[in-house]
Amino acid sequence: MAKYILKRLIAMVITLWFIITLTFFLMHSIPGSPFNEERATSEAVQENLEKFYQLDQPLIVQYGNYLKSVVTFDFGPSIKKSSQTVNEMLGRGFPISFELGIITLIVAVISGITLGVIAALRHNGFIDYLAMTIAVLGISIPNFVLATMLIQQLAVNFPIFPVATWSSTMHMVLPTFALATGPMAIIARLTRSSMLEVLTQDYIRTAKAKGLSPVKIIFKHALRNALLPVVTILGSLAASILTGTFVIEKIFAIPGMGKYFVESINQRDYPVIMGTTVFYSSILIIMLFLVDIAYGILDPRIKLHKKEGI
Amino acid sequence: MKKLLSLFLMGLLVFVLAACTANENAGNETEQPDGEDTETAEKVLYLNNGQEPTSFDPPIGFDSVSWQALNNLMEGLTRLGKNHEPEAAIAEDWDLSDDGKTYTFHIRENAKWSNGDDVTAGDFVFAWKRLLNPETGSPAAFLGYFIEGGEAFNNGEGSADDVAVKAVDEKTFEVTLISPQEYFLSVITNPAFFPVNEKVAAENPEWFSEAETFVGNGPFNLAEWEHDSHFLMEKNDQYWDAENVKLDKVHWAMVDDTNTEYQMFQAGDLDTSDVPADLSEQLFGEGKVEVVDQAGDYFYRFNVTKEPFQNENIRKAFAMAVDQQQIVDFVTKGQEKPAYGFVSYGFTDPSGNDFRETAGDLVKTDAEEAKKLLAQGMEEEGYDTLPEVTLTYSTSDAHKKIAETLQQMFKDNLGVEVQLANMEWNVFAEEQSALKFQLSRSSFLADYADPINFLENFQTGHSMNRTGWSNAEYDQLIQNAKNESDEAARYDMMYEAEKILMDEMPIIPIHFYNQVFMQNESVSDIVRHPVGYMELKWADKN
Repeated sequence: MAKYILKRLIAMVITLWFIITLTFFLMHSIPGSPFNEERATSEAVQENLEKFYQLDQPLIVQYGNYLKSVVTFDFGPSIKKSSQTVNEMLGRGFPISFELGIITLIVAVISGITLGVIAALRHNGFIDYLAMTIAVLGISIPNFVLATMLIQQLAVNFPIFPVATWSSTMHMVLPTFALATGPMAIIARLTRSSMLEVLTQDYIRTAKAKGLSPVKIIFKHALRNALLPVVTILGSLAASILTGTFVIEKIFAIPGMGKYFVESINQRDYPVIMGTTVFYSSILIIMLFLVDIAYGILDPRIKLHKKEGI
Repeated sequence: MKKLLSLFLMGLLVFVLAACTANENAGNETEQPDGEDTETAEKVLYLNNGQEPTSFDPPIGFDSVSWQALNNLMEGLTRLGKNHEPEAAIAEDWDLSDDGKTYTFHIRENAKWSNGDDVTAGDFVFAWKRLLNPETGSPAAFLGYFIEGGEAFNNGEGSADDVAVKAVDEKTFEVTLISPQEYFLSVITNPAFFPVNEKVAAENPEWFSEAETFVGNGPFNLAEWEHDSHFLMEKNDQYWDAENVKLDKVHWAMVDDTNTEYQMFQAGDLDTSDVPADLSEQLFGEGKVEVVDQAGDYFYRFNVTKEPFQNENIRKAFAMAVDQQQIVDFVTKGQEKPAYGFVSYGFTDPSGNDFRETAGDLVKTDAEEAKKLLAQGMEEEGYDTLPEVTLTYSTSDAHKKIAETLQQMFKDNLGVEVQLANMEWNVFAEEQSALKFQLSRSSFLADYADPINFLENFQTGHSMNRTGWSNAEYDQLIQNAKNESDEAARYDMMYEAEKILMDEMPIIPIHFYNQVFMQNESVSDIVRHPVGYMELKWADKN
């Protein structure tokens, strides 16, 4: 196990390096500059700005400097928000995105699995259709539409919840709901289909024949195996939800880190592009690693490494 | 267990259905009165800054997301008054030398920093040299090129010592310009020219980054700044004119979505709001929207180095095929004024007339004439068929609507099929500067309140020219106007220059900008300048 983890860690570092390199050169290859302005400016001013942010140096030198600073976890200053560093921005935004993300995940996973299981158990019944209708709605209504609708109804027309911003538990309700609906629907559909498959397996019949209670059959035997596909998507889902979403954060004026992903690219704020990419990739890689570990726990037949296998 | 779950499901369904049906009434609700604040004696104004300010360092925060706040946190030698003219601010009064080039400002005895320090002439010398210092990397530095030695210092040819700003004594500040410029007093209302407390900056070079360390000299103080979330201003008791400041606090949210902003306004969480594009027509119809001028143009640039727009008559033909009035009436629908010249309304010449009204309409919508000019131009160039024309704009719904309208107008009025192309703004900006388009969208917002700021853009090689157009007579007129101390003569030169510009037509003006907003009725005296920023000094809320 230890050997496996060590191997994975090394692979993770190499993956990260690869991502950094690719992003760095891709980012500089797109036309545009952080100092492009619609307004008037002067050549001297442009040159001074480039010098100030060391963008006048050869790309390979900039790349070298960047690698050096990344090793020390220093992502440098933002070009567009010049009094802040990328570390400060991520340090401030991530906890907020994480808070919203983790609640959203919990809501989505619990309600998604519940819906999926019920639908599978009442296969082709009214409840199945109802659950799947909700799931289809959840997948097909974009979350920004849902968010705007929720605000209009539950904050403006009936002022139960605050419209936007981020300061109390009440402020979290609407964004959580808007954000959780999509993932919930995906999880519900996945759970349902794999649950249906599992329920026809021999060992379920055996369990039934043994006279086990339906609750025990579902939770101990069926669900455990049915969850594998859900766990698979959970890795990437968690990474993207935990690091914030641009649209929802924008609509609800949540000071998370989601907006940096999009804004930094529009503004060509190179250090922020790199910072968010490296950060997101690290989270994603870690999540995928956790998913692999979870496989082993859920289904002992899956071995993490071949040598110790049969 | 099963019962519980089905109950939950039913609840969810009811909720979803309720939300769907109720949505039909969306937008028809009347706005909520702002109940919370009327009970307390404290006057708190709730505003939205949209985004995190770029920086509160005066020479760095050169954009509206920084200015709106900075202008109320600090103050320069002059400040724009309620009538948009520069008034005495930190400077009590000033003397002007006979040649019109040297200003001597007398700083108020009671001008203080928020930490109690005196505002001194030295603070201005420090701040203005810092603005021009190439190592500061200020995007606003070019505004300081008015000052003798300013441009040389900024482009690395001169030194700080050669910049003609000096502290004659503790409270007397002197600056010498390269040429007489009456509008200099309005230029220095820009935050780039705000003083910086030298002592504070020496102790903490990052003094502007956090509320705790921020030291200002304006009507309000920065009390709280949670980055990317909100900031809070409090009335500054040290401000020399504190008795005329009526608000106790100003809370600025950072909501970057116009719909949400409007919904917060409806819910009473904000005192002002922009107008969401989708609801614009309805809200205008209900008379809820207020409109004030903004000095700037929405316009299109020809590229005179690319076919077929090297030909003046073809350029004119395209310009005359555009119906500006129709665009503002039926496309933008924001009560903008159509533009038939480049300098916007609101600049008064020495005889008291408005520049735009005096200069008159320098381009007219005239399909017949346009067709004639096109034929004439094609003959001059020997074209049997017009080379293909592509109109390029930066990706956005608003730009797209105007571009499609223009495409239709060129088809109807000229019989020319124009191709449309759009690209991401940043790439667009780069390609436009590199003169890669034939006909492309543009905009201009004035940096300071004088027609020369509009007209100087089209000098040969100016960073805002971006058309390839060059006219020696025009360049000369602009230079002469910049050196002219007689206002009447200066205005005559500018009238003439605009005529040349619109006669050779390297651009098609579309409309002048305005500022549209909704405002809580209990709020009064927020001043919005056509050039510049929101002024809260006199604002009140009852």
